[in-house]
Amino acid sequence: MEDSSSSAAYIRLVHRLIEECILFNMSKEECMEALSKHANIKPVITSTVWKELEKENKEFFEAYTRSRAERASERETRQRIQSVVSDSSKERI
Amino acid sequence: MLAVSPLRSTRDEGQGEMMESFSIGTDDFADLSEGNLLESINFDDLFMGINDDEDVLPDLEMDPEMLAEFSLSTEESDMASSSVSVENNNKSADNNNNNDGNNIVTTEKQDEVIVIAANSSSDSGSSRGEEIVSKSDESVVMNPSRKESEKGRKSSNHAARNNNPQGKRKVKVDWTPELHRRFVQAVEQLGVDKAVPSRILEIMGIDCLTRHNIASHLQKYRSHRKHLLAREAEAARWSQRKQLLAAAGVGRGGGSKREVNPWLTPTMGFPPMTSMHHFRPLHVWGHQTMDQSFMHMWPKHPPYLPSPPVWPPQTAPSPPAPDPLYWHQHQRAPNAPTRGTPCFPQPLTTTRFGSQTVPGIPPRHAMYQILDPGIGIPASQTPPRPLVDFHPSKESIDAAISDVLSKPWLPLPLGLKAPALDGVMGELQRQGIPKIPPSYA
Repeated sequence: MEDSSSSAAYIRLVHRLIEECILFNMSKEECMEALSKHANIKPVITSTVWKELEKENKEFFEAYTRSRAERASERETRQRIQSVVSDSSKERI
Repeated sequence: MLAVSPLRSTRDEGQGEMMESFSIGTDDFADLSEGNLLESINFDDLFMGINDDEDVLPDLEMDPEMLAEFSLSTEESDMASSSVSVENNNKSADNNNNNDGNNIVTTEKQDEVIVIAANSSSDSGSSRGEEIVSKSDESVVMNPSRKESEKGRKSSNHAARNNNPQGKRKVKVDWTPELHRRFVQAVEQLGVDKAVPSRILEIMGIDCLTRHNIASHLQKYRSHRKHLLAREAEAARWSQRKQLLAAAGVGRGGGSKREVNPWLTPTMGFPPMTSMHHFRPLHVWGHQTMDQSFMHMWPKHPPYLPSPPVWPPQTAPSPPAPDPLYWHQHQRAPNAPTRGTPCFPQPLTTTRFGSQTVPGIPPRHAMYQILDPGIGIPASQTPPRPLVDFHPSKESIDAAISDVLSKPWLPLPLGLKAPALDGVMGELQRQGIPKIPPSYA
Protein backbone atom coordinates (compact mmCIF):
# COMPACT_ATOMS: atom_id res chain seq x y z
CA MET A 1 0.00 0.00 0.00
CA GLU A 2 1.39 3.31 -0.89
CA ASP A 3 1.74 6.01 1.62
CA SER A 4 -1.10 8.21 0.62
CA SER A 5 -3.74 5.56 0.73
CA SER A 6 -2.53 4.13 3.97
CA SER A 7 -2.45 7.58 5.42
CA ALA A 8 -5.94 8.12 4.19
CA ALA A 9 -7.02 4.84 5.69
CA TYR A 10 -5.39 5.71 8.96
CA ILE A 11 -7.09 9.03 9.11
CA ARG A 12 -10.36 7.38 8.34
CA LEU A 13 -9.74 5.02 11.18
CA VAL A 14 -9.04 7.81 13.60
CA HIS A 15 -12.09 9.59 12.31
CA ARG A 16 -14.21 6.60 13.05
CA LEU A 17 -12.74 6.19 16.49
CA ILE A 18 -13.41 9.78 17.25
CA GLU A 19 -17.00 9.37 16.22
CA GLU A 20 -17.31 6.47 18.60
CA CYS A 21 -15.90 8.59 21.37
CA ILE A 22 -18.39 11.27 20.58
CA LEU A 23 -21.07 8.71 21.05
CA PHE A 24 -19.66 8.31 24.49
CA ASN A 25 -19.91 12.02 24.98
CA MET A 26 -16.25 12.42 25.44
CA SER A 27 -14.39 15.61 25.17
CA LYS A 28 -11.49 16.00 22.81
CA GLU A 29 -9.02 15.44 25.60
CA GLU A 30 -10.81 12.38 26.85
CA CYS A 31 -10.86 11.08 23.35
CA MET A 32 -7.17 11.66 22.90
CA GLU A 33 -6.49 9.77 26.05
CA ALA A 34 -8.81 6.91 25.25
CA LEU A 35 -7.47 6.44 21.75
CA SER A 36 -3.95 6.60 22.95
CA LYS A 37 -4.57 4.09 25.65
CA HIS A 38 -6.76 1.66 23.79
CA ALA A 39 -5.70 2.04 20.23
CA ASN A 40 -2.19 3.32 20.46
CA ILE A 41 -2.94 6.42 18.55
CA LYS A 42 -0.80 9.37 19.30
CA PRO A 43 -2.77 12.09 20.98
CA VAL A 44 -1.48 14.66 18.54
CA ILE A 45 -2.94 12.70 15.68
CA THR A 46 -6.24 12.35 17.44
CA SER A 47 -6.30 16.00 18.22
CA THR A 48 -5.46 16.99 14.68
CA VAL A 49 -8.13 14.82 13.18
CA TRP A 50 -10.59 16.05 15.77
CA LYS A 51 -9.86 19.64 14.90
CA GLU A 52 -10.21 18.98 11.21
CA LEU A 53 -13.48 17.20 11.82
CA GLU A 54 -14.62 20.17 13.77
CA LYS A 55 -13.82 22.42 10.87
CA GLU A 56 -15.76 20.28 8.47
CA ASN A 57 -18.69 19.79 10.77
CA LYS A 58 -18.99 23.05 12.59
CA GLU A 59 -22.68 22.82 13.31
CA PHE A 60 -22.42 19.39 14.73
CA PHE A 61 -19.59 20.20 17.03
CA GLU A 62 -21.19 23.35 18.18
CA ALA A 63 -24.27 21.44 19.18
CA TYR A 64 -22.14 18.77 20.75
CA THR A 65 -20.17 21.22 22.83
CA ARG A 66 -23.30 22.96 23.91
CA SER A 67 -24.96 19.78 25.02
CA ARG A 68 -21.91 18.72 26.93
CA ALA A 69 -21.82 22.02 28.67
CA GLU A 70 -25.47 21.73 29.51
CA ARG A 71 -24.93 18.32 30.89
CA ALA A 72 -22.10 19.52 32.99
CA SER A 73 -24.09 22.35 34.41
CA GLU A 74 -27.06 20.14 35.07
CA ARG A 75 -24.85 17.72 36.86
CA GLU A 76 -23.44 20.51 38.91
CA THR A 77 -26.85 21.82 39.79
CA ARG A 78 -27.98 18.44 40.88
CA GLN A 79 -24.95 18.06 43.02
CA ARG A 80 -25.62 21.33 44.63
CA ILE A 81 -29.17 20.41 45.36
CA GLN A 82 -28.03 17.16 46.77
CA SER A 83 -25.63 18.76 49.10
CA VAL A 84 -28.21 21.24 50.22
CA VAL A 85 -30.65 18.50 50.95
CA SER A 86 -28.17 16.43 52.81
CA ASP A 87 -27.07 19.44 54.75
CA SER A 88 -30.55 20.31 55.72
CA SER A 89 -31.27 16.76 56.70
CA LYS A 90 -28.24 16.78 58.90
CA GLU A 91 -29.40 19.88 60.59
CA ARG A 92 -32.64 18.32 61.42
CA ILE A 93 -30.88 15.70 63.37
CA MET B 1 -38.80 22.18 -38.84
CA LEU B 2 -40.83 23.26 -36.07
CA ALA B 3 -39.31 23.83 -32.84
CA VAL B 4 -40.90 25.17 -29.85
CA SER B 5 -39.44 25.61 -26.52
CA PRO B 6 -41.59 25.87 -23.53
CA LEU B 7 -40.33 28.33 -21.15
CA ARG B 8 -41.85 27.70 -17.95
CA SER B 9 -39.54 27.00 -15.16
CA THR B 10 -40.79 27.17 -11.73
CA ARG B 11 -37.93 25.68 -9.94
CA ASP B 12 -34.86 27.66 -9.52
CA GLU B 13 -32.51 24.83 -9.17
CA GLY B 14 -32.50 23.55 -12.56
CA GLN B 15 -33.30 26.78 -14.10
CA GLY B 16 -29.91 27.83 -15.10
CA GLU B 17 -29.22 24.54 -16.61
CA MET B 18 -32.47 24.32 -18.28
CA MET B 19 -31.97 27.45 -20.08
CA GLU B 20 -29.13 25.99 -21.89
CA SER B 21 -31.25 23.50 -23.57
CA PHE B 22 -33.52 26.07 -24.96
CA SER B 23 -31.06 27.01 -27.50
CA ILE B 24 -31.98 23.97 -29.42
CA GLY B 25 -33.49 24.75 -32.67
CA THR B 26 -33.42 28.40 -32.14
CA ASP B 27 -33.05 28.86 -35.75
CA ASP B 28 -36.58 27.81 -36.07
CA PHE B 29 -37.82 30.34 -33.74
CA ALA B 30 -37.22 33.17 -35.98
CA ASP B 31 -40.76 33.69 -36.75
CA LEU B 32 -42.13 32.71 -33.49
CA SER B 33 -42.44 34.90 -30.58
CA GLU B 34 -42.80 33.50 -27.21
CA GLY B 35 -46.27 34.55 -26.65
CA ASN B 36 -47.91 32.97 -29.58
CA LEU B 37 -45.90 29.92 -30.15
CA LEU B 38 -48.82 27.70 -30.30
CA GLU B 39 -50.71 29.90 -32.54
CA SER B 40 -47.83 29.94 -34.84
CA ILE B 41 -47.75 26.29 -35.04
CA ASN B 42 -49.54 25.07 -37.97
CA PHE B 43 -50.77 21.79 -36.85
CA ASP B 44 -51.80 20.82 -40.23
CA ASP B 45 -48.32 21.01 -41.36
CA LEU B 46 -47.31 18.74 -38.64
CA PHE B 47 -49.71 16.15 -39.57
CA MET B 48 -48.67 16.09 -43.07
CA GLY B 49 -46.35 13.43 -44.00
CA ILE B 50 -47.52 11.27 -41.26
CA ASN B 51 -48.13 7.88 -42.37
CA ASP B 52 -51.33 6.84 -40.88
CA ASP B 53 -50.60 3.30 -41.37
CA GLU B 54 -47.65 3.21 -39.23
CA ASP B 55 -47.57 3.77 -35.63
CA VAL B 56 -44.29 5.25 -35.63
CA LEU B 57 -44.19 8.58 -37.22
CA PRO B 58 -41.68 8.46 -39.93
CA ASP B 59 -39.58 11.38 -39.23
CA LEU B 60 -38.36 10.60 -35.86
CA GLU B 61 -35.26 8.69 -35.90
CA MET B 62 -34.28 7.40 -32.66
CA ASP B 63 -31.64 5.07 -31.70
CA PRO B 64 -33.03 1.77 -30.79
CA GLU B 65 -31.45 1.96 -27.46
CA MET B 66 -33.04 5.22 -26.73
CA LEU B 67 -36.27 3.67 -27.63
CA ALA B 68 -35.65 0.84 -25.31
CA GLU B 69 -34.71 3.15 -22.58
CA PHE B 70 -37.74 5.17 -22.91
CA SER B 71 -40.04 2.29 -23.11
CA LEU B 72 -40.32 2.79 -19.43
CA SER B 73 -41.61 6.16 -19.81
CA THR B 74 -43.54 5.96 -22.93
CA GLU B 75 -46.83 4.40 -22.89
CA GLU B 76 -46.59 3.05 -26.27
CA SER B 77 -43.76 2.39 -28.46
CA ASP B 78 -44.88 4.86 -30.94
CA MET B 79 -42.81 7.84 -30.72
CA ALA B 80 -43.97 10.96 -32.19
CA SER B 81 -41.54 12.04 -34.69
CA SER B 82 -42.65 15.44 -35.28
CA SER B 83 -43.80 16.69 -32.07
CA VAL B 84 -45.07 19.79 -30.77
CA SER B 85 -43.94 21.03 -27.56
CA VAL B 86 -46.68 22.04 -25.44
CA GLU B 87 -45.94 24.75 -23.19
CA ASN B 88 -48.64 24.78 -20.69
CA ASN B 89 -50.53 22.20 -18.92
CA ASN B 90 -53.65 23.71 -20.17
CA LYS B 91 -52.70 23.15 -23.67
CA SER B 92 -51.35 19.77 -23.23
CA ALA B 93 -54.39 18.85 -21.29
CA ASP B 94 -54.24 15.28 -20.66
CA ASN B 95 -52.48 14.07 -23.46
CA ASN B 96 -51.44 14.43 -26.56
CA ASN B 97 -52.33 11.14 -27.79
CA ASN B 98 -55.84 12.11 -28.08
CA ASN B 99 -55.38 13.44 -31.47
CA ASP B 100 -54.97 11.25 -34.35
CA GLY B 101 -51.49 10.76 -35.34
CA ASN B 102 -50.67 13.41 -32.99
CA ASN B 103 -47.39 14.37 -31.95
CA ILE B 104 -48.11 16.42 -29.03
CA VAL B 105 -46.14 15.81 -26.06
CA THR B 106 -47.54 16.27 -22.72
CA THR B 107 -45.72 18.27 -20.31
CA GLU B 108 -45.56 17.47 -16.79
CA LYS B 109 -47.35 19.88 -14.63
CA GLN B 110 -44.76 22.18 -13.51
CA ASP B 111 -41.89 19.98 -13.21
CA GLU B 112 -40.93 19.59 -16.69
CA VAL B 113 -40.32 21.56 -19.60
CA ILE B 114 -40.45 20.09 -22.91
CA VAL B 115 -38.22 21.10 -25.53
CA ILE B 116 -39.25 19.64 -28.66
CA ALA B 117 -37.74 19.92 -31.89
CA ALA B 118 -40.23 18.54 -34.18
CA ASN B 119 -38.82 17.62 -37.38
CA SER B 120 -40.59 16.79 -40.40
CA SER B 121 -37.42 16.37 -42.19
CA SER B 122 -35.75 13.15 -42.11
CA ASP B 123 -32.35 14.19 -41.26
CA SER B 124 -31.29 12.01 -38.55
CA GLY B 125 -28.68 14.21 -37.26
CA SER B 126 -30.96 16.64 -35.72
CA SER B 127 -34.00 14.59 -35.42
CA ARG B 128 -33.80 14.15 -31.84
CA GLY B 129 -37.45 14.36 -31.55
CA GLU B 130 -38.49 15.84 -28.37
CA GLU B 131 -36.55 16.42 -25.41
CA ILE B 132 -37.93 16.98 -22.12
CA VAL B 133 -36.00 18.85 -19.68
CA SER B 134 -36.91 17.78 -16.33
CA LYS B 135 -36.21 20.45 -13.90
CA SER B 136 -35.61 18.28 -11.05
CA ASP B 137 -33.28 16.11 -12.89
CA GLU B 138 -31.65 18.68 -14.99
CA SER B 139 -31.92 16.15 -17.62
CA VAL B 140 -33.01 15.87 -21.06
CA VAL B 141 -35.48 13.17 -21.58
CA MET B 142 -37.22 12.07 -24.62
CA ASN B 143 -40.76 11.52 -23.89
CA PRO B 144 -42.99 11.99 -26.77
CA SER B 145 -46.09 10.20 -25.83
CA ARG B 146 -45.96 10.42 -22.20
CA LYS B 147 -49.06 10.95 -20.30
CA GLU B 148 -49.22 13.24 -17.45
CA SER B 149 -47.82 10.86 -14.98
CA GLU B 150 -44.37 11.59 -14.02
CA LYS B 151 -42.11 9.37 -15.93
CA GLY B 152 -39.39 11.74 -16.60
CA ARG B 153 -37.44 10.62 -13.65
CA LYS B 154 -37.52 7.03 -14.56
CA SER B 155 -36.57 7.61 -18.07
CA SER B 156 -33.97 10.06 -17.11
CA ASN B 157 -32.19 7.38 -15.30
CA HIS B 158 -31.69 5.69 -18.53
CA ALA B 159 -31.12 8.76 -20.49
CA ALA B 160 -28.50 8.24 -22.99
CA ARG B 161 -25.31 9.69 -22.02
CA ASN B 162 -23.84 8.88 -25.30
CA ASN B 163 -26.62 9.93 -27.58
CA ASN B 164 -25.76 13.49 -27.79
CA PRO B 165 -25.50 14.58 -31.34
CA GLN B 166 -26.01 18.16 -30.49
CA GLY B 167 -23.59 19.67 -28.13
CA LYS B 168 -26.12 22.01 -26.73
CA ARG B 169 -28.24 19.33 -25.20
CA LYS B 170 -27.59 18.53 -21.65
CA VAL B 171 -26.84 14.96 -21.08
CA LYS B 172 -28.21 13.35 -18.02
CA VAL B 173 -25.56 11.92 -15.86
CA ASP B 174 -26.39 8.68 -14.27
CA TRP B 175 -24.91 8.81 -10.84
CA THR B 176 -24.28 5.19 -10.18
CA PRO B 177 -23.07 4.23 -6.76
CA GLU B 178 -19.65 3.60 -8.22
CA LEU B 179 -19.57 6.98 -9.84
CA HIS B 180 -20.79 8.59 -6.72
CA ARG B 181 -18.19 6.80 -4.69
CA ARG B 182 -15.48 8.22 -6.88
CA PHE B 183 -17.07 11.58 -6.57
CA VAL B 184 -17.08 11.37 -2.81
CA GLN B 185 -13.51 10.20 -2.81
CA ALA B 186 -12.49 13.15 -4.86
CA VAL B 187 -14.43 15.51 -2.70
CA GLU B 188 -13.00 14.12 0.48
CA GLN B 189 -9.57 14.39 -0.91
CA LEU B 190 -10.09 18.05 -1.56
CA GLY B 191 -12.21 18.75 1.44
CA VAL B 192 -15.91 19.19 1.05
CA ASP B 193 -15.93 22.89 1.47
CA LYS B 194 -12.94 23.42 -0.68
CA ALA B 195 -13.92 21.04 -3.38
CA VAL B 196 -14.12 22.79 -6.64
CA PRO B 197 -15.95 21.13 -9.50
CA SER B 198 -13.11 21.56 -11.91
CA ARG B 199 -10.70 19.92 -9.56
CA ILE B 200 -13.13 17.18 -8.76
CA LEU B 201 -13.46 16.56 -12.43
CA GLU B 202 -9.73 16.30 -12.74
CA ILE B 203 -9.47 13.88 -9.93
CA MET B 204 -12.30 11.75 -11.12
CA GLY B 205 -10.98 11.80 -14.62
CA ILE B 206 -14.15 10.76 -16.29
CA ASP B 207 -14.73 12.05 -19.75
CA CYS B 208 -18.43 12.02 -19.85
CA LEU B 209 -18.79 14.33 -16.92
CA THR B 210 -19.00 18.00 -17.41
CA ARG B 211 -18.10 20.53 -14.85
CA HIS B 212 -21.74 21.39 -14.71
CA ASN B 213 -22.77 17.89 -13.80
CA ILE B 214 -20.27 17.85 -11.03
CA ALA B 215 -21.26 21.24 -9.79
CA SER B 216 -24.86 20.36 -9.42
CA HIS B 217 -24.09 17.03 -7.87
CA LEU B 218 -21.80 18.72 -5.44
CA GLN B 219 -24.47 21.16 -4.50
CA LYS B 220 -26.88 18.40 -3.76
CA TYR B 221 -24.30 16.49 -1.85
CA ARG B 222 -23.44 19.40 0.35
CA SER B 223 -26.96 20.31 1.17
CA HIS B 224 -27.74 16.73 1.95
CA ARG B 225 -24.86 16.40 4.35
CA LYS B 226 -25.62 19.62 6.02
CA HIS B 227 -29.15 18.59 6.54
CA LEU B 228 -28.15 15.27 8.00
CA LEU B 229 -25.62 16.71 10.31
CA ALA B 230 -27.91 19.35 11.61
CA ARG B 231 -30.43 16.72 12.38
CA GLU B 232 -27.88 14.48 13.92
CA ALA B 233 -26.54 17.23 16.03
CA GLU B 234 -29.95 17.83 17.36
CA ALA B 235 -30.53 14.17 17.83
CA ALA B 236 -27.24 13.79 19.57
CA ARG B 237 -28.16 16.56 21.90
CA TRP B 238 -31.40 14.98 22.80
CA SER B 239 -30.03 11.57 23.32
CA GLN B 240 -27.26 12.95 25.40
CA ARG B 241 -29.77 14.66 27.54
CA LYS B 242 -31.63 11.50 27.93
CA GLN B 243 -28.56 9.62 28.74
CA LEU B 244 -27.54 12.17 31.24
CA LEU B 245 -30.77 12.01 33.06
CA ALA B 246 -31.05 8.30 32.92
CA ALA B 247 -27.58 7.69 34.07
CA ALA B 248 -27.62 10.49 36.50
CA GLY B 249 -30.85 9.22 37.84
CA VAL B 250 -29.35 5.90 38.53
CA GLY B 251 -26.12 7.36 39.65
CA ARG B 252 -27.72 9.50 42.18
CA GLY B 253 -30.11 6.82 43.13
CA GLY B 254 -27.84 5.67 45.84
CA GLY B 255 -27.26 9.10 47.16
CA SER B 256 -30.50 10.88 47.16
CA LYS B 257 -33.20 8.54 46.42
CA ARG B 258 -35.95 10.95 46.28
CA GLU B 259 -34.25 13.57 44.27
CA VAL B 260 -33.78 11.45 41.30
CA ASN B 261 -37.30 10.82 40.38
CA PRO B 262 -38.38 14.34 39.66
CA TRP B 263 -35.59 14.57 37.22
CA LEU B 264 -36.61 11.50 35.46
CA THR B 265 -40.26 11.65 34.84
CA PRO B 266 -40.57 14.89 33.03
CA THR B 267 -37.93 13.90 30.65
CA MET B 268 -38.81 10.45 29.70
CA GLY B 269 -41.33 11.35 27.15
CA PHE B 270 -38.75 12.35 24.76
CA PRO B 271 -39.70 14.25 21.68
CA PRO B 272 -36.48 13.32 20.00
CA MET B 273 -37.83 9.95 19.30
CA THR B 274 -40.07 11.43 16.75
CA SER B 275 -37.19 13.00 15.07
CA MET B 276 -35.88 9.60 14.37
CA HIS B 277 -38.51 9.19 11.80
CA HIS B 278 -37.19 12.07 9.91
CA PHE B 279 -33.99 10.34 9.27
CA ARG B 280 -34.43 9.42 5.77
CA PRO B 281 -31.18 9.05 4.03
CA LEU B 282 -31.20 9.86 0.42
CA HIS B 283 -30.28 6.61 -1.03
CA VAL B 284 -28.62 8.15 -3.96
CA TRP B 285 -25.72 9.10 -1.80
CA GLY B 286 -24.95 5.61 -0.85
CA HIS B 287 -23.78 6.51 2.58
CA GLN B 288 -24.83 4.17 5.20
CA THR B 289 -23.77 6.38 7.90
CA MET B 290 -26.71 8.44 8.75
CA ASP B 291 -28.88 8.65 11.70
CA GLN B 292 -27.19 6.09 13.73
CA SER B 293 -26.49 8.39 16.54
CA PHE B 294 -29.64 7.60 18.36
CA MET B 295 -29.29 4.00 18.77
CA HIS B 296 -25.73 4.35 19.57
CA MET B 297 -26.64 6.29 22.57
CA TRP B 298 -28.64 3.50 23.86
CA PRO B 299 -25.94 1.04 24.48
CA LYS B 300 -24.63 3.36 27.07
CA HIS B 301 -27.49 2.70 29.33
CA PRO B 302 -26.80 -0.81 30.35
CA PRO B 303 -23.53 -0.05 32.00
CA TYR B 304 -25.23 2.48 34.12
CA LEU B 305 -28.28 0.69 35.12
CA PRO B 306 -28.05 -1.71 37.91
CA SER B 307 -30.07 -4.81 37.43
CA PRO B 308 -33.52 -3.68 38.16
CA PRO B 309 -35.95 -6.49 38.54
CA VAL B 310 -38.09 -4.91 35.92
CA TRP B 311 -35.76 -5.84 33.16
CA PRO B 312 -36.18 -9.08 31.39
CA PRO B 313 -33.31 -11.51 31.73
CA GLN B 314 -30.65 -9.01 32.21
CA THR B 315 -27.33 -9.25 30.59
CA ALA B 316 -26.29 -5.78 31.44
CA PRO B 317 -23.50 -6.84 33.70
CA SER B 318 -21.45 -7.49 30.67
CA PRO B 319 -21.47 -4.19 28.96
CA PRO B 320 -18.80 -4.95 26.45
CA ALA B 321 -20.83 -7.70 24.96
CA PRO B 322 -24.02 -5.88 24.15
CA ASP B 323 -22.35 -2.72 23.10
CA PRO B 324 -20.56 -3.88 20.03
CA LEU B 325 -23.52 -5.91 19.11
CA TYR B 326 -25.66 -2.87 19.00
CA TRP B 327 -23.25 -1.07 16.90
CA HIS B 328 -23.30 -3.83 14.46
CA GLN B 329 -26.94 -4.20 14.49
CA HIS B 330 -27.84 -0.80 13.42
CA GLN B 331 -25.34 -0.02 10.87
CA ARG B 332 -27.67 -0.31 8.00
CA ALA B 333 -30.91 0.65 9.49
CA PRO B 334 -31.72 4.02 8.14
CA ASN B 335 -35.39 4.07 8.59
CA ALA B 336 -36.09 1.48 11.11
CA PRO B 337 -38.43 2.68 13.72
CA THR B 338 -37.38 -0.04 16.01
CA ARG B 339 -33.86 0.91 16.36
CA GLY B 340 -31.71 0.60 19.37
CA THR B 341 -33.25 -0.25 22.59
CA PRO B 342 -31.31 -0.36 25.74
CA CYS B 343 -32.79 -3.49 27.01
CA PHE B 344 -30.91 -6.60 26.26
CA PRO B 345 -33.03 -9.55 26.95
CA GLN B 346 -30.44 -11.79 25.54
CA PRO B 347 -27.18 -11.44 23.80
CA LEU B 348 -27.68 -10.61 20.21
CA THR B 349 -26.06 -12.25 17.34
CA THR B 350 -23.97 -9.87 15.47
CA THR B 351 -25.89 -8.94 12.43
CA ARG B 352 -24.19 -6.20 10.74
CA PHE B 353 -26.41 -5.54 7.89
CA GLY B 354 -29.92 -4.54 8.20
CA SER B 355 -31.43 -6.66 10.83
CA GLN B 356 -33.30 -4.04 12.55
CA THR B 357 -35.68 -6.00 14.59
CA VAL B 358 -33.90 -8.49 16.64
CA PRO B 359 -36.20 -10.99 18.13
CA GLY B 360 -36.65 -10.57 21.76
CA ILE B 361 -35.93 -6.92 21.83
CA PRO B 362 -38.90 -4.92 22.81
CA PRO B 363 -39.71 -2.07 20.52
CA ARG B 364 -38.57 1.36 21.27
CA HIS B 365 -41.66 2.57 23.01
CA ALA B 366 -41.79 -0.47 25.13
CA MET B 367 -38.30 0.34 26.09
CA TYR B 368 -39.39 3.66 27.29
CA GLN B 369 -42.00 2.25 29.49
CA ILE B 370 -39.59 -0.13 30.99
CA LEU B 371 -36.90 2.39 31.32
CA ASP B 372 -38.82 4.70 33.47
CA PRO B 373 -39.79 2.36 36.24
CA GLY B 374 -36.50 0.67 35.78
CA ILE B 375 -34.71 3.75 36.73
CA GLY B 376 -37.17 4.59 39.38
CA ILE B 377 -36.66 1.36 41.11
CA PRO B 378 -33.04 1.66 41.92
CA ALA B 379 -33.85 5.02 43.24
CA SER B 380 -35.84 3.47 45.95
CA GLN B 381 -33.41 0.79 46.75
CA THR B 382 -29.76 1.07 47.22
CA PRO B 383 -28.19 0.04 44.00
CA PRO B 384 -25.66 -2.66 44.43
CA ARG B 385 -22.96 -1.12 42.35
CA PRO B 386 -21.40 2.23 42.82
CA LEU B 387 -22.46 4.14 39.81
CA VAL B 388 -20.25 6.40 37.95
CA ASP B 389 -21.23 9.52 36.33
CA PHE B 390 -22.56 8.99 32.91
CA HIS B 391 -19.07 8.71 31.65
CA PRO B 392 -18.67 5.44 29.98
CA SER B 393 -16.91 2.65 31.65
CA LYS B 394 -13.46 1.76 30.59
CA GLU B 395 -14.55 -1.61 29.36
CA SER B 396 -17.16 -0.26 27.08
CA ILE B 397 -14.81 2.25 25.61
CA ASP B 398 -12.23 -0.39 25.11
CA ALA B 399 -14.75 -2.65 23.51
CA ALA B 400 -15.92 0.03 21.17
CA ILE B 401 -12.46 0.98 20.15
CA SER B 402 -11.25 -2.52 19.58
CA ASP B 403 -14.36 -3.07 17.60
CA VAL B 404 -13.53 -0.23 15.30
CA LEU B 405 -10.01 -1.43 14.93
CA SER B 406 -10.95 -4.91 14.08
CA LYS B 407 -13.72 -4.06 11.70
CA PRO B 408 -12.64 -1.16 9.58
CA TRP B 409 -15.33 -1.80 7.05
CA LEU B 410 -18.09 -0.67 9.33
CA PRO B 411 -19.63 2.60 8.33
CA LEU B 412 -19.26 5.65 10.43
CA PRO B 413 -21.68 5.78 13.29
CA LEU B 414 -22.22 9.47 13.04
CA GLY B 415 -21.35 10.07 9.46
CA LEU B 416 -19.53 13.26 10.08
CA LYS B 417 -17.90 14.83 7.11
CA ALA B 418 -14.47 13.48 6.80
CA PRO B 419 -11.64 15.93 7.24
CA ALA B 420 -9.71 17.01 4.24
CA LEU B 421 -6.84 14.67 3.77
CA ASP B 422 -4.47 17.33 2.78
CA GLY B 423 -5.39 19.45 5.71
CA VAL B 424 -4.76 16.71 8.19
CA MET B 425 -1.51 15.61 6.66
CA GLY B 426 -0.29 19.13 6.45
CA GLU B 427 -1.13 19.77 10.04
CA LEU B 428 0.51 16.61 11.17
CA GLN B 429 3.64 17.38 9.31
CA ARG B 430 3.74 20.67 11.00
CA GLN B 431 3.48 18.88 14.28
CA GLY B 432 6.39 16.77 13.35
CA ILE B 433 4.74 13.61 12.21
CA PRO B 434 5.92 12.93 8.73
CA LYS B 435 3.69 10.08 7.88
CA ILE B 436 1.05 7.92 9.32
CA PRO B 437 0.51 5.41 10.56
CA PRO B 438 3.55 6.07 12.59
CA SER B 439 5.92 3.27 13.03
CA TYR B 440 6.03 3.85 16.70
CA ALA B 441 3.15 4.38 19.00
